Amino acid sequence: MAHDFDEFHAELRSVAGDLLAKDRSVGWQTLVDAGWVGLEVGERLGGAGATFSEVAIVCQEMGRAASTNSYLGGAVLAVGVLNGLQPSETRDRLLTEVASGTTRLAVALESSEFVPDAEGADRILVVDDTVGVVDATVTPQPVLDETRRLATVTADAVTEVLRFEGDPETAVGLLRNRAATAVACDSLGLSEAMLTATVEYVKVRHQFGRAIGSFQAVKHACADMLTTISVSRQLVSAAIEAVAEQRPDAGVAVAMAKSHACSAAVDIAGKAMQLHGGIGYTWESGIHVYLKRAALNRSLFGSPAAHRQELTKRYSFKGV
Amino acid sequence: MTTHLEKFRSEVRRWCQEHIPPDWRAAQTGVDDEEFVRFQKWWFAELHAAGYAVPHWPAEWGGGMPIAQQVVLYSELAVHDAPRLVLAFVGIHHAASTLLAAGTDEQRRRHLPAILDGEIWVQGFSEPEAGSDLASLRTTARHDGDEFVVNGQKLWASGGKHADWCLLLARTDVQAPKRKGISYFLMDMKSPGVEVRPIRNAIGDSHFCEIFLNDVRIPAANLVGPLNSGWQVAQATLGAERGMTMLELAERLGNAGFRWLVQSCPVDDPIVADRLAQFEIEITGLRGLCTELVEKAEAGTAGPADASIVKLFYSELLQRMTDFGVEIGGLSAHTQLVKSSSSGWESGSWVLDFIGSWEWTIPGGSSEIQRTIIAERGLELPREPSAL
Repeated sequence: MAHDFDEFHAELRSVAGDLLAKDRSVGWQTLVDAGWVGLEVGERLGGAGATFSEVAIVCQEMGRAASTNSYLGGAVLAVGVLNGLQPSETRDRLLTEVASGTTRLAVALESSEFVPDAEGADRILVVDDTVGVVDATVTPQPVLDETRRLATVTADAVTEVLRFEGDPETAVGLLRNRAATAVACDSLGLSEAMLTATVEYVKVRHQFGRAIGSFQAVKHACADMLTTISVSRQLVSAAIEAVAEQRPDAGVAVAMAKSHACSAAVDIAGKAMQLHGGIGYTWESGIHVYLKRAALNRSLFGSPAAHRQELTKRYSFKGV
Repeated sequence: MTTHLEKFRSEVRRWCQEHIPPDWRAAQTGVDDEEFVRFQKWWFAELHAAGYAVPHWPAEWGGGMPIAQQVVLYSELAVHDAPRLVLAFVGIHHAASTLLAAGTDEQRRRHLPAILDGEIWVQGFSEPEAGSDLASLRTTARHDGDEFVVNGQKLWASGGKHADWCLLLARTDVQAPKRKGISYFLMDMKSPGVEVRPIRNAIGDSHFCEIFLNDVRIPAANLVGPLNSGWQVAQATLGAERGMTMLELAERLGNAGFRWLVQSCPVDDPIVADRLAQFEIEITGLRGLCTELVEKAEAGTAGPADASIVKLFYSELLQRMTDFGVEIGGLSAHTQLVKSSSSGWESGSWVLDFIGSWEWTIPGGSSEIQRTIIAERGLELPREPSAL
């Protein structure tokens, strides 16, 4: 059984990697047609009936490609919100429309100030103790990372208010965990891409009559990148599993993965720029795209320090 | 499957509660060598009686515990802060894996049961002029009839003064390229011509030794693997044991180690709490890496740099954590002048633990060597120009 999943995941990873590598900007319809938007939508509503584990794979590949699209807001967050609601006609209609691509939603989860992928969305889901389906005025918030779209959302009209299934606090906690883990996956994929690019470069770039990758200062830096990524990978896998299984203590694994993987990605993209030398600092090299995305990811859905602070609440009694 | 594992876990728990002396740390603090050896041998016998001493050995030699159960065993021993097997370590890991991989039936029959009866081993690899560049070792073994005659000097032989037997690398062909003229021997430490001198290390202990070898005669039957293939034998068996032994250390760091750190910290200080959280995250990552390494080693799918990544990350994390323990402990941390022997690498005597952490970043392939291995084998970066 686990083996079947492994094969399915490897295939999804490979297909996603190929598709996203073709073009940095991917149209919404392409993501819909690939079946990624409806991954977590139930089969009877036109989705794939898959889980967060599969969504996480797509997120990691998005990071690897530094892809510009609306997947985070329109699929990861929107479908997550809808799946957490009490059964209703509106819920099922929206899920069906999202999976088929006829409606694109965005989600105001923690604030209405930096809402991912709100621009061009048909409706905004505003999350509080309930979920408001909102027609909104969307004002783009330009950020240095050109691969992400953030915007301020001002509600003009609330067309419907939907209720969470079960305790709203738990439901919102799960959404935060999903958001943070999705971004951690993105940062992991991004880190892997930067290591791969750096290793390829230092093998072919020659100075002093040798490939610069043969110098210890360079190869040890690459070894540190791999070691850090190996640790990120463990933490991110644990977070994905905890979120997919909706474990009550998933927040611990998520805080660890988000703070580590997103901090590490900035260091790794920065080291990639350094090891690429002058060429790495050029616009054309594209390393800056990754460094900026890594820096934005680190701030999205909780800084590393904020996530660590969550962990430290468990230390207040003596003897964890 | 899971219930079976849980049943095993509760068995181990009960055993730990009944067999680990609650006061062992206090009792083993500041003890002399004789008491350390007595306690280590007693604890090994206790573990062996329960079937917990060599779970990683094949069933026919007294092991055969499934990997998943071994993971549970080491995790529970760490949770219950069991004494660590220090003296038996080289015997049950390096000697056994070498004999199992490359030894003759006779060598296995002679030594594996003896190790279970308490035979102590030491590794005689490094030399004054062969540290990181181990293959340049100069100790020679000259073939003479049914024997080899060994001359040279070994260094950093941990536990050398208590050892019954030595895993010895010596040059048997001085003309051959350096990695092709080395052979692997089992040497009786009671042989005439073997002289052991303890070296005092940075924390004042003397478990590291120099071994002087002066016309020591080793029977040809004690050669392991073919003549002049000692380098290959050593390479094959050095990394093999790393997974489970590292998992045990990671579990100890994650249990008692982290608990002591939290207990010695003002956790209400947000800056201190943040550092603690960073350590907890890194320990969690380390435990994941160790478990994965163990599983991959079992399945034969471990990558060429996996063991080095674990060794490097553990060593430096241990150093950072013990450093923080000293920093946060203030001046009173500096007054802890003794630590309990038989402890893990973190004992809660932070200043000794911190100074002692270089025993991880330097031996067994220094952090620099590990980074080179990770880059060259894991990332396939070009090799440095090296001597033959």
